[in-house]
Amino acid sequence: MAAYAHPEVLVTTEWVANHLADPRVRIVESDEDRGLYTMGHVPGAVEIDWQVDLQAPLERDYIDRAAFERLCSERGISNDTTVVFYGDKNNWWACYTFWVFKLYGHPECRIMDGGRKRWELDGRTWSTERVAPPHARYTATEQDASIRALRDEVLRHQKSGRQLLDVRSPEEYRGERMHMPDYPNEGAVRGGHIPGAVNVPWVRACNDDGTFKSARDLEKLYVREVKLKRRSPTIAYCRIGERSSLTWFVLKYLLGAT
Amino acid sequence: MDTVASRVERIVGEFADLDPREKLELLVEFAAGLPPLPESHRARRAEAEGRVHECQTPVFLWPEVIDGRARLVAEVAPEAPTVKGFVAILSQAVEGRPAAEAAALDEAVIDRTGLAEVLGMLRSRGLRAILARVKRGLLAAVPPTTSAPRPAAS
Repeated sequence: MAAYAHPEVLVTTEWVANHLADPRVRIVESDEDRGLYTMGHVPGAVEIDWQVDLQAPLERDYIDRAAFERLCSERGISNDTTVVFYGDKNNWWACYTFWVFKLYGHPECRIMDGGRKRWELDGRTWSTERVAPPHARYTATEQDASIRALRDEVLRHQKSGRQLLDVRSPEEYRGERMHMPDYPNEGAVRGGHIPGAVNVPWVRACNDDGTFKSARDLEKLYVREVKLKRRSPTIAYCRIGERSSLTWFVLKYLLGAT
Repeated sequence: MDTVASRVERIVGEFADLDPREKLELLVEFAAGLPPLPESHRARRAEAEGRVHECQTPVFLWPEVIDGRARLVAEVAPEAPTVKGFVAILSQAVEGRPAAEAAALDEAVIDRTGLAEVLGMLRSRGLRAILARVKRGLLAAVPPTTSAPRPAAS
Protein backbone atom coordinates (compact mmCIF):
# COMPACT_ATOMS: atom_id res chain seq x y z
CA MET A 1 0.00 0.00 0.00
CA ALA A 2 1.53 3.27 -1.06
CA ALA A 3 -1.19 5.73 -0.07
CA TYR A 4 -3.33 6.50 2.96
CA ALA A 5 -6.71 4.77 3.00
CA HIS A 6 -8.56 8.12 3.34
CA PRO A 7 -6.09 10.77 2.23
CA GLU A 8 -8.83 13.44 2.11
CA VAL A 9 -8.91 13.70 5.93
CA LEU A 10 -5.46 15.28 6.00
CA VAL A 11 -4.84 18.80 4.81
CA THR A 12 -1.54 20.66 4.61
CA THR A 13 -0.75 23.98 6.23
CA GLU A 14 -0.79 25.40 2.71
CA TRP A 15 -4.36 24.22 2.17
CA VAL A 16 -5.38 25.84 5.46
CA ALA A 17 -3.57 29.08 4.57
CA ASN A 18 -5.57 29.14 1.33
CA HIS A 19 -8.89 28.57 3.11
CA LEU A 20 -8.64 31.05 6.00
CA ALA A 21 -11.48 33.12 4.59
CA ASP A 22 -13.54 30.23 3.24
CA PRO A 23 -17.00 30.43 4.87
CA ARG A 24 -17.50 26.67 4.38
CA VAL A 25 -14.43 25.95 6.52
CA ARG A 26 -13.92 26.39 10.28
CA ILE A 27 -10.46 25.93 11.75
CA VAL A 28 -10.30 24.62 15.32
CA GLU A 29 -7.30 24.51 17.65
CA SER A 30 -7.11 22.09 20.58
CA ASP A 31 -4.12 21.92 22.91
CA GLU A 32 -2.99 20.44 26.19
CA ASP A 33 -2.58 24.01 27.52
CA ARG A 34 -5.03 26.79 26.62
CA GLY A 35 -2.25 29.37 26.79
CA LEU A 36 -0.85 28.17 23.45
CA TYR A 37 -3.90 29.29 21.48
CA THR A 38 -3.88 32.51 23.51
CA MET A 39 -0.26 33.24 22.56
CA GLY A 40 -0.96 32.79 18.87
CA HIS A 41 -3.24 30.76 16.65
CA VAL A 42 -3.92 30.24 12.98
CA PRO A 43 -5.72 33.42 11.84
CA GLY A 44 -9.45 32.94 12.24
CA ALA A 45 -9.16 29.67 14.18
CA VAL A 46 -11.45 29.12 17.16
CA GLU A 47 -10.39 27.17 20.24
CA ILE A 48 -12.08 24.04 21.57
CA ASP A 49 -10.64 22.92 24.88
CA TRP A 50 -10.64 19.22 25.71
CA GLN A 51 -11.38 19.90 29.34
CA VAL A 52 -13.53 23.01 29.60
CA ASP A 53 -15.47 22.46 26.37
CA LEU A 54 -15.56 18.71 25.73
CA GLN A 55 -15.70 17.08 29.15
CA ALA A 56 -18.88 17.02 31.22
CA PRO A 57 -18.38 19.13 34.33
CA LEU A 58 -20.03 16.74 36.79
CA GLU A 59 -19.47 13.25 35.41
CA ARG A 60 -16.47 11.47 34.03
CA ASP A 61 -17.82 11.61 30.50
CA TYR A 62 -17.94 13.69 27.35
CA ILE A 63 -20.44 16.52 27.03
CA ASP A 64 -23.92 15.41 26.05
CA ARG A 65 -25.54 15.94 22.70
CA ALA A 66 -27.25 19.22 23.64
CA ALA A 67 -23.99 20.68 24.95
CA PHE A 68 -22.20 19.57 21.78
CA GLU A 69 -24.82 21.31 19.65
CA ARG A 70 -24.42 24.46 21.73
CA LEU A 71 -20.62 24.30 21.39
CA CYS A 72 -20.78 23.98 17.60
CA SER A 73 -23.31 26.77 17.35
CA GLU A 74 -21.12 29.11 19.42
CA ARG A 75 -18.05 28.28 17.35
CA GLY A 76 -19.87 29.04 14.12
CA ILE A 77 -19.96 25.41 13.00
CA SER A 78 -23.03 24.14 11.17
CA ASN A 79 -23.69 20.59 9.99
CA ASP A 80 -22.23 21.22 6.54
CA THR A 81 -19.08 23.04 7.74
CA THR A 82 -15.76 21.41 6.92
CA VAL A 83 -13.94 21.48 10.26
CA VAL A 84 -10.14 21.40 10.27
CA PHE A 85 -8.53 20.46 13.57
CA TYR A 86 -4.96 21.17 14.59
CA GLY A 87 -2.98 21.67 17.77
CA ASP A 88 0.11 20.95 19.82
CA LYS A 89 2.32 17.86 19.97
CA ASN A 90 1.53 15.82 16.83
CA ASN A 91 -2.11 16.92 16.96
CA TRP A 92 -2.91 14.63 19.88
CA TRP A 93 -5.65 16.86 21.31
CA ALA A 94 -6.75 17.78 17.80
CA CYS A 95 -7.39 14.07 17.19
CA TYR A 96 -9.29 13.94 20.49
CA THR A 97 -11.57 16.78 19.36
CA PHE A 98 -11.88 15.19 15.90
CA TRP A 99 -12.99 11.98 17.63
CA VAL A 100 -15.66 13.81 19.67
CA PHE A 101 -16.95 15.40 16.44
CA LYS A 102 -17.19 11.93 14.90
CA LEU A 103 -18.88 10.65 18.08
CA TYR A 104 -21.69 13.13 17.34
CA GLY A 105 -21.71 12.37 13.65
CA HIS A 106 -20.09 15.44 12.11
CA PRO A 107 -19.44 14.49 8.45
CA GLU A 108 -16.60 16.68 7.21
CA CYS A 109 -13.63 16.58 9.57
CA ARG A 110 -9.98 17.13 8.68
CA ILE A 111 -6.65 17.23 10.49
CA MET A 112 -4.02 19.79 9.52
CA ASP A 113 -1.00 17.52 9.20
CA GLY A 114 1.82 18.57 11.54
CA GLY A 115 -0.33 20.92 13.62
CA ARG A 116 1.15 23.95 15.35
CA LYS A 117 4.68 22.71 14.82
CA ARG A 118 4.38 22.40 11.05
CA TRP A 119 2.59 25.78 10.83
CA GLU A 120 5.56 27.30 12.66
CA LEU A 121 8.16 25.42 10.58
CA ASP A 122 6.44 26.59 7.39
CA GLY A 123 6.90 30.17 8.57
CA ARG A 124 3.21 30.97 8.58
CA THR A 125 1.53 33.81 10.47
CA TRP A 126 0.24 33.54 14.04
CA SER A 127 -2.64 35.71 15.21
CA THR A 128 -3.69 36.88 18.67
CA GLU A 129 -6.89 38.47 17.45
CA ARG A 130 -10.20 37.54 19.01
CA VAL A 131 -12.25 35.21 16.87
CA ALA A 132 -16.03 35.40 17.35
CA PRO A 133 -17.81 33.83 14.39
CA PRO A 134 -21.55 34.35 14.03
CA HIS A 135 -23.50 31.59 15.72
CA ALA A 136 -24.59 28.72 13.52
CA ARG A 137 -27.41 26.20 13.64
CA TYR A 138 -26.32 22.69 14.55
CA THR A 139 -28.10 19.37 15.04
CA ALA A 140 -25.99 16.48 16.30
CA THR A 141 -26.74 12.79 15.85
CA GLU A 142 -26.92 10.30 18.67
CA GLN A 143 -23.48 9.12 19.81
CA ASP A 144 -21.83 6.72 17.37
CA ALA A 145 -21.28 3.77 19.70
CA SER A 146 -19.09 2.03 17.12
CA ILE A 147 -16.08 4.25 17.90
CA ARG A 148 -16.34 4.05 21.66
CA ALA A 149 -15.80 0.95 23.82
CA LEU A 150 -17.07 0.91 27.39
CA ARG A 151 -15.76 -1.46 30.03
CA ASP A 152 -18.03 -4.44 29.39
CA GLU A 153 -17.38 -4.30 25.67
CA VAL A 154 -13.64 -4.18 26.30
CA LEU A 155 -13.98 -7.25 28.53
CA ARG A 156 -15.91 -9.19 25.90
CA HIS A 157 -13.45 -8.07 23.23
CA GLN A 158 -10.52 -9.18 25.36
CA LYS A 159 -12.06 -12.54 26.31
CA SER A 160 -12.68 -13.36 22.67
CA GLY A 161 -9.00 -12.73 21.97
CA ARG A 162 -9.50 -9.72 19.70
CA GLN A 163 -6.95 -7.01 19.05
CA LEU A 164 -6.16 -4.62 21.87
CA LEU A 165 -3.64 -1.87 21.31
CA ASP A 166 -2.01 -0.19 24.28
CA VAL A 167 -0.62 3.09 22.91
CA ARG A 168 1.10 4.29 26.06
CA SER A 169 4.85 4.32 26.65
CA PRO A 170 6.65 0.98 27.03
CA GLU A 171 7.30 1.82 30.70
CA GLU A 172 3.59 2.29 31.34
CA TYR A 173 2.80 -0.89 29.39
CA ARG A 174 5.26 -2.87 31.46
CA GLY A 175 3.89 -1.40 34.69
CA GLU A 176 7.10 0.39 35.60
CA ARG A 177 5.42 3.74 35.65
CA MET A 178 1.85 4.97 35.70
CA HIS A 179 2.13 8.07 33.54
CA MET A 180 3.97 9.37 30.48
CA PRO A 181 7.73 9.81 30.68
CA ASP A 182 8.48 13.36 31.88
CA TYR A 183 4.88 13.81 33.01
CA PRO A 184 3.74 13.35 36.60
CA ASN A 185 1.08 10.88 37.68
CA GLU A 186 -2.41 12.10 36.98
CA GLY A 187 -4.12 9.40 38.91
CA ALA A 188 -3.63 5.96 37.35
CA VAL A 189 -3.93 3.66 40.33
CA ARG A 190 -2.58 0.39 38.93
CA GLY A 191 0.41 -0.31 36.76
CA GLY A 192 0.57 -2.67 33.80
CA HIS A 193 -1.58 -3.35 30.76
CA ILE A 194 -4.77 -5.21 29.86
CA PRO A 195 -3.78 -8.85 29.31
CA GLY A 196 -3.53 -9.58 25.61
CA ALA A 197 -2.82 -6.00 24.55
CA VAL A 198 0.15 -5.26 22.32
CA ASN A 199 2.13 -2.06 22.76
CA VAL A 200 2.69 0.51 20.03
CA PRO A 201 3.39 3.89 21.65
CA TRP A 202 1.23 6.55 19.96
CA VAL A 203 4.16 8.78 19.16
CA ARG A 204 5.66 6.20 16.81
CA ALA A 205 3.01 7.10 14.24
CA CYS A 206 4.47 10.59 13.86
CA ASN A 207 7.50 12.24 12.34
CA ASP A 208 9.68 14.75 14.16
CA ASP A 209 7.91 17.67 12.47
CA GLY A 210 4.56 16.58 13.91
CA THR A 211 3.22 15.12 10.65
CA PHE A 212 2.02 11.55 10.33
CA LYS A 213 4.37 8.92 9.00
CA SER A 214 3.91 7.71 5.45
CA ALA A 215 1.47 4.92 4.63
CA ARG A 216 4.42 2.61 4.00
CA ASP A 217 6.00 3.34 7.41
CA LEU A 218 2.69 3.01 9.24
CA GLU A 219 2.05 -0.31 7.57
CA LYS A 220 5.50 -1.50 8.58
CA LEU A 221 4.86 -0.48 12.16
CA TYR A 222 1.33 -1.77 12.74
CA VAL A 223 0.87 -4.53 10.19
CA ARG A 224 4.31 -6.08 9.93
CA GLU A 225 5.77 -5.32 13.34
CA VAL A 226 2.82 -6.10 15.62
CA LYS A 227 0.75 -8.10 13.09
CA LEU A 228 -2.36 -5.93 13.38
CA LYS A 229 -5.15 -7.24 11.17
CA ARG A 230 -6.93 -4.34 9.54
CA ARG A 231 -10.16 -6.22 8.99
CA SER A 232 -10.43 -7.39 12.57
CA PRO A 233 -11.91 -5.00 15.18
CA THR A 234 -9.35 -3.19 17.31
CA ILE A 235 -9.68 -1.31 20.57
CA ALA A 236 -6.95 1.23 21.26
CA TYR A 237 -6.51 2.63 24.74
CA CYS A 238 -4.30 4.94 26.77
CA ARG A 239 -5.28 6.66 30.00
CA ILE A 240 -7.17 9.89 29.39
CA GLY A 241 -7.89 9.56 25.68
CA GLU A 242 -5.70 11.90 23.66
CA ARG A 243 -3.03 9.35 22.79
CA SER A 244 -5.55 6.68 21.81
CA SER A 245 -7.51 9.26 19.77
CA LEU A 246 -4.42 9.82 17.67
CA THR A 247 -3.81 6.11 17.17
CA TRP A 248 -7.52 5.59 16.37
CA PHE A 249 -7.22 8.30 13.70
CA VAL A 250 -4.12 6.69 12.24
CA LEU A 251 -5.58 3.19 12.13
CA LYS A 252 -8.97 4.17 10.78
CA TYR A 253 -8.21 6.93 8.31
CA LEU A 254 -4.60 6.40 7.31
CA LEU A 255 -4.31 2.61 7.47
CA GLY A 256 -7.95 1.83 6.70
CA ALA A 257 -8.54 -0.49 9.66
CA THR A 258 -12.05 -1.32 10.78
CA MET B 1 1.55 47.65 53.50
CA ASP B 2 3.32 45.18 51.23
CA THR B 3 2.49 41.64 52.34
CA VAL B 4 1.83 38.34 50.59
CA ALA B 5 -1.87 38.93 51.23
CA SER B 6 -1.80 42.45 49.77
CA ARG B 7 0.04 41.20 46.69
CA VAL B 8 -2.54 38.45 46.24
CA GLU B 9 -5.30 41.07 46.51
CA ARG B 10 -3.61 43.18 43.84
CA ILE B 11 -3.30 40.17 41.51
CA VAL B 12 -6.91 39.11 42.16
CA GLY B 13 -7.89 42.69 41.33
CA GLU B 14 -6.04 42.47 38.01
CA PHE B 15 -8.08 39.41 37.05
CA ALA B 16 -11.39 40.81 38.26
CA ASP B 17 -13.82 41.89 35.57
CA LEU B 18 -11.85 40.20 32.78
CA ASP B 19 -13.66 37.84 30.44
CA PRO B 20 -12.28 34.28 30.18
CA ARG B 21 -10.16 35.06 27.12
CA GLU B 22 -8.68 38.14 28.83
CA LYS B 23 -7.90 36.06 31.90
CA LEU B 24 -5.92 33.66 29.73
CA GLU B 25 -4.12 36.57 28.10
CA LEU B 26 -3.17 38.03 31.48
CA LEU B 27 -1.98 34.61 32.67
CA VAL B 28 0.22 34.30 29.60
CA GLU B 29 1.66 37.77 30.39
CA PHE B 30 2.53 36.58 33.88
CA ALA B 31 4.21 33.53 32.31
CA ALA B 32 6.43 35.76 30.21
CA GLY B 33 7.61 37.44 33.41
CA LEU B 34 8.87 34.28 35.13
CA PRO B 35 12.67 34.64 35.34
CA PRO B 36 14.74 31.95 33.63
CA LEU B 37 16.15 29.23 35.85
CA PRO B 38 19.34 30.52 37.53
CA GLU B 39 22.62 28.77 36.74
CA SER B 40 22.74 27.49 40.34
CA HIS B 41 19.70 25.29 39.74
CA ARG B 42 20.45 23.92 36.27
CA ALA B 43 22.29 20.82 37.45
CA ARG B 44 19.63 20.05 40.04
CA ARG B 45 16.97 20.35 37.37
CA ALA B 46 18.80 17.69 35.41
CA GLU B 47 18.43 15.35 38.36
CA ALA B 48 14.68 16.02 38.26
CA GLU B 49 14.77 17.26 41.81
CA GLY B 50 11.99 19.66 42.69
CA ARG B 51 9.50 17.97 40.40
CA VAL B 52 5.82 18.47 41.15
CA HIS B 53 3.60 15.46 41.03
CA GLU B 54 -0.09 15.42 40.15
CA CYS B 55 -0.07 18.24 37.67
CA GLN B 56 -0.04 17.63 33.96
CA THR B 57 3.15 19.31 32.86
CA PRO B 58 6.81 19.00 33.67
CA VAL B 59 7.25 21.62 36.40
CA PHE B 60 10.36 22.14 38.51
CA LEU B 61 9.97 24.06 41.76
CA TRP B 62 12.41 25.08 44.45
CA PRO B 63 10.69 26.98 47.26
CA GLU B 64 13.57 28.45 49.26
CA VAL B 65 14.08 30.51 52.37
CA ILE B 66 17.19 32.67 52.52
CA ASP B 67 17.79 34.75 55.68
CA GLY B 68 14.17 34.17 56.62
CA ARG B 69 12.90 35.47 53.28
CA ALA B 70 10.95 33.32 50.86
CA ARG B 71 11.62 32.94 47.18
CA LEU B 72 10.38 30.56 44.54
CA VAL B 73 12.82 29.35 41.91
CA ALA B 74 11.03 27.51 39.14
CA GLU B 75 11.09 26.27 35.60
CA VAL B 76 8.03 25.36 33.57
CA ALA B 77 8.08 23.99 30.04
CA PRO B 78 7.20 26.59 27.36
CA GLU B 79 4.42 24.33 26.11
CA ALA B 80 2.61 24.98 29.40
CA PRO B 81 2.09 28.75 29.49
CA THR B 82 -0.88 28.74 31.85
CA VAL B 83 0.96 26.63 34.43
CA LYS B 84 3.97 28.88 34.01
CA GLY B 85 1.76 31.93 34.52
CA PHE B 86 0.40 30.52 37.77
CA VAL B 87 3.90 29.74 39.03
CA ALA B 88 4.92 33.31 38.13
CA ILE B 89 1.99 34.62 40.20
CA LEU B 90 3.11 32.55 43.19
CA SER B 91 6.69 33.70 42.73
CA GLN B 92 5.65 37.37 42.68
CA ALA B 93 3.42 36.89 45.71
CA VAL B 94 6.07 35.35 47.99
CA GLU B 95 9.33 36.91 46.76
CA GLY B 96 11.26 38.42 49.67
CA ARG B 97 8.49 38.04 52.25
CA PRO B 98 8.95 36.24 55.59
CA ALA B 99 8.68 32.50 55.05
CA ALA B 100 5.83 31.91 57.50
CA GLU B 101 3.78 34.62 55.82
CA ALA B 102 4.50 33.17 52.38
CA ALA B 103 3.62 29.67 53.52
CA ALA B 104 0.17 30.90 54.56
CA LEU B 105 -0.73 31.74 50.95
CA ASP B 106 -4.34 30.71 50.50
CA GLU B 107 -5.30 28.37 47.65
CA ALA B 108 -8.48 30.42 47.26
CA VAL B 109 -6.39 32.50 44.87
CA ILE B 110 -7.12 29.88 42.17
CA ASP B 111 -10.87 30.44 42.46
CA ARG B 112 -10.69 34.17 43.19
CA THR B 113 -8.68 34.92 40.04
CA GLY B 114 -11.23 32.91 38.06
CA LEU B 115 -8.52 30.54 36.84
CA ALA B 116 -10.41 27.50 38.11
CA GLU B 117 -13.21 28.34 35.72
CA VAL B 118 -11.12 29.03 32.60
CA LEU B 119 -8.76 26.09 33.10
CA GLY B 120 -11.18 23.39 34.27
CA MET B 121 -11.16 20.99 37.16
CA LEU B 122 -8.22 18.76 36.28
CA ARG B 123 -5.89 21.65 35.60
CA SER B 124 -7.04 23.48 38.75
CA ARG B 125 -6.19 20.37 40.71
CA GLY B 126 -2.74 20.57 39.18
CA LEU B 127 -2.39 24.19 40.27
CA ARG B 128 -3.47 23.32 43.80
CA ALA B 129 -0.83 20.58 43.87
CA ILE B 130 1.77 23.16 42.84
CA LEU B 131 0.69 25.60 45.54
CA ALA B 132 0.64 22.86 48.19
CA ARG B 133 4.13 21.85 47.16
CA VAL B 134 5.39 25.43 47.42
CA LYS B 135 3.85 25.87 50.87
CA ARG B 136 5.28 22.58 52.14
CA GLY B 137 8.67 23.51 50.77
CA LEU B 138 8.66 26.89 52.47
CA LEU B 139 7.57 25.43 55.79
CA ALA B 140 10.26 22.75 55.61
CA ALA B 141 12.85 25.42 54.90
CA VAL B 142 11.95 27.51 57.96
CA PRO B 143 14.40 26.71 60.78
CA PRO B 144 12.61 25.72 63.99
CA THR B 145 12.31 28.64 66.39
CA THR B 146 14.26 28.34 69.61
CA SER B 147 11.21 29.14 71.71
CA ALA B 148 9.23 26.21 70.32
CA PRO B 149 8.46 23.56 72.94
CA ARG B 150 10.69 20.55 72.56
CA PRO B 151 9.71 17.00 73.37
CA ALA B 152 11.30 15.71 76.51
CA ALA B 153 14.08 13.21 76.02
CA SER B 154 12.92 9.73 76.76
